[in-house]
Amino acid sequence: MKRGFIFFILLCSLATSGHVFAQSDIESRIRALEDVLKKQAETIKAQQIMIDDLKAQINKKTEVAAAPESKEKPAEVQPVQKAAGLFGGAAMSNPNISLVLNTYGYSSNLTTEEVRNRGIAGYTTRGIDRRNGFNLEAAELALYAPVDSFFNLYATIPVTEDGAELEEAYFVTTCLPRGHQIKGGKFKSGFGRLNSQHSHVWDFVDAPLPYRAFIGDEGFSEKGIQYTYLLPLPFYTIVGVEALQGDNDMLFGSDAASGIHAYTAFFKASLDIGNNSTILFGPSVVTGKTKTDTVAADSDFSGDTTLYGLEFTYKWQPSKDRGFKIQSEYLLRTQSGDLTDAGSGLGQSLERSQDGLYFQGIYKQADWEFGARYDILGLFKDDYTLAGEKQDWGRRPWRASGMINYNFSEFSLLRLQYNHDESDVTGKPNDELFLQFIFTIGAHPAHKF
Amino acid sequence: MKKLLISFLLVLTLAAPAVAKINVVATLPWIGSIAGDLGKDKVNIKVLVRPSQDPHQIEAKPSMILAARNADLLMYNGLDLEIGFLPILLESSRNNRIQPGKSGNLDCSQFINAIEKQETVDRSMGDVHPLGNPHYHLSARNIMQVARGMSQALAKSDPENASVYRANLASLESRLQKKQNQWSKIPLRGKKYIAYHKFFEYTARDYGFQIIDYIEEKPGIPPSARHVSKLLASAKKSGASGILTTAYYGKKEVHALAQKTGLRSIVVPHDVGSAAGINDWFSLMDAVLKSLE
Repeated sequence: MKRGFIFFILLCSLATSGHVFAQSDIESRIRALEDVLKKQAETIKAQQIMIDDLKAQINKKTEVAAAPESKEKPAEVQPVQKAAGLFGGAAMSNPNISLVLNTYGYSSNLTTEEVRNRGIAGYTTRGIDRRNGFNLEAAELALYAPVDSFFNLYATIPVTEDGAELEEAYFVTTCLPRGHQIKGGKFKSGFGRLNSQHSHVWDFVDAPLPYRAFIGDEGFSEKGIQYTYLLPLPFYTIVGVEALQGDNDMLFGSDAASGIHAYTAFFKASLDIGNNSTILFGPSVVTGKTKTDTVAADSDFSGDTTLYGLEFTYKWQPSKDRGFKIQSEYLLRTQSGDLTDAGSGLGQSLERSQDGLYFQGIYKQADWEFGARYDILGLFKDDYTLAGEKQDWGRRPWRASGMINYNFSEFSLLRLQYNHDESDVTGKPNDELFLQFIFTIGAHPAHKF
Repeated sequence: MKKLLISFLLVLTLAAPAVAKINVVATLPWIGSIAGDLGKDKVNIKVLVRPSQDPHQIEAKPSMILAARNADLLMYNGLDLEIGFLPILLESSRNNRIQPGKSGNLDCSQFINAIEKQETVDRSMGDVHPLGNPHYHLSARNIMQVARGMSQALAKSDPENASVYRANLASLESRLQKKQNQWSKIPLRGKKYIAYHKFFEYTARDYGFQIIDYIEEKPGIPPSARHVSKLLASAKKSGASGILTTAYYGKKEVHALAQKTGLRSIVVPHDVGSAAGINDWFSLMDAVLKSLE
């Protein structure tokens, strides 16, 4: 039928093309057709306006109508429009995508080579991957959306000049009742405070010394599973446990064991003090098997590691333009195992028990924030026992930092930071200056506490 | 061992005491006020955002997460007003009853006709809301619709008391009708105002006044000096009855402009609890319309 119709039209057009129409004739016919179409469009428009008016009148009438009697069940209230949803509606579509550009200029009294090789003696041989001049930390792509009514899914993909990395990719349950939640995939561990945050929401450009010495510059993000429970108490208390693969190359190392070899547990409590102040505090612990080459030069360490943490945050937010925040974490790492020289293959027993603390304060005034931070290692505990002999690494490594940042808006930030770093106790101090830019586009960032 | 663990978990989940009242968590004070009028003694209401706080900017504090954990019903403004803290609050609450799509999740904006929906937006335009102007609560017409939706949600959450919620709605509606008759007699029709923020559009629509200009060039972004001086020139000739703002935004700019133009600066209470004596939505509306007079 359809085919026949098409054939008929073809035939017609062939037939008409057979006639020799004057060019102008065709044009005038087209113009006439256009006019008709225009008129029709106008009619439709006018009708639409009428329909809208009628709709509005109906709405008005239903509003003005007297209240229904209470005894009778009222008609089901129909939403005027579909609930827009929490995540920005169609305008920002599903999934939500955001990109955070984190870039900085860096200047040090040391050469790039010296900065790269600058470990912390007795703690780690790991230097800092940073160049004098322009640095691109990452353009971090983040995706999230509800999978269904059971799970939310997140992925964080920082793209650096070396390529893309899968920093996080995990699900979170939303279907469990009464305070239970399971998270699984690859995610930032709930251990400690800075560890569970992305580096671009930190108050300073870089991680404090205890993180550098025990965990690494970015905290630990691991494949595994997490269970948390928000307790039914009058104030906020949450407990969590995690079973992790143990890939972090300072704490654990992928080859330290053949299976899952890192476990964490943490507890956090929070109280509001008056209307404007909140504190959050709690202990964390992570323990596991370790195989790493970051303990001493040209040596491999294998053994067991346990890291204890204690976090404390205080925030005072009297208004949107003013605020004050204190944050501190204490970390204590104990480690025992064997240190093997990579060349000779000779092994010696190594026991380490070392700690560190950072303490920082941030004051906010309108779009400006001013911050100071002090980091120290070996505060209460500084034992490094190699083959039964205690080693002395000299005085305590420490660092002091100051920063100012300006928020152009919620989505862009300019930060100036200065570090005086005395973490290399045998070498020169490192005086560093950072000028950092952070930009966010796409989905609205979550305002976490 | 496994049995023990399961029974332990069961005990934990079932141990929560059976409470007679249902827990309603409202993000904003006005939502709590209307929910209170509808629920009366059948509900416990917890309001998350204080009138002195900006719902755009606040963080999902642990105490708010705890409140959401225990909520039977979460009521929020919607239209992206709470976009900064609500998505993370919902996930962190570990409460399946209040997730989007569940009957315990009530987006109050679904019951109103949002105005100023934006077809194309980007953030260079300021704090724009693609879904429409989110400040819809200073409108009796909108509140009437929202109250109906709320009472239905309450009845769904707590079917035993459904008739109570319906009766409360009926008395709220008749009270609102009476008030509306009073309010509509206030001579605001045809008046012109300059406003700091896009906050009074629904009220203007309802009572027939006009917002002829904004001190903010772009919503949510403090105005440039150039824009203010341009306003200064036009404001004098505009015949405006006053310059409107709320207690927490643009007070300085509004007072300065008022002084220079000789126009009246009007600080309009923006939510329940924002000034002494404003204890519920009705007294809020009374105060709002009185301030405009």
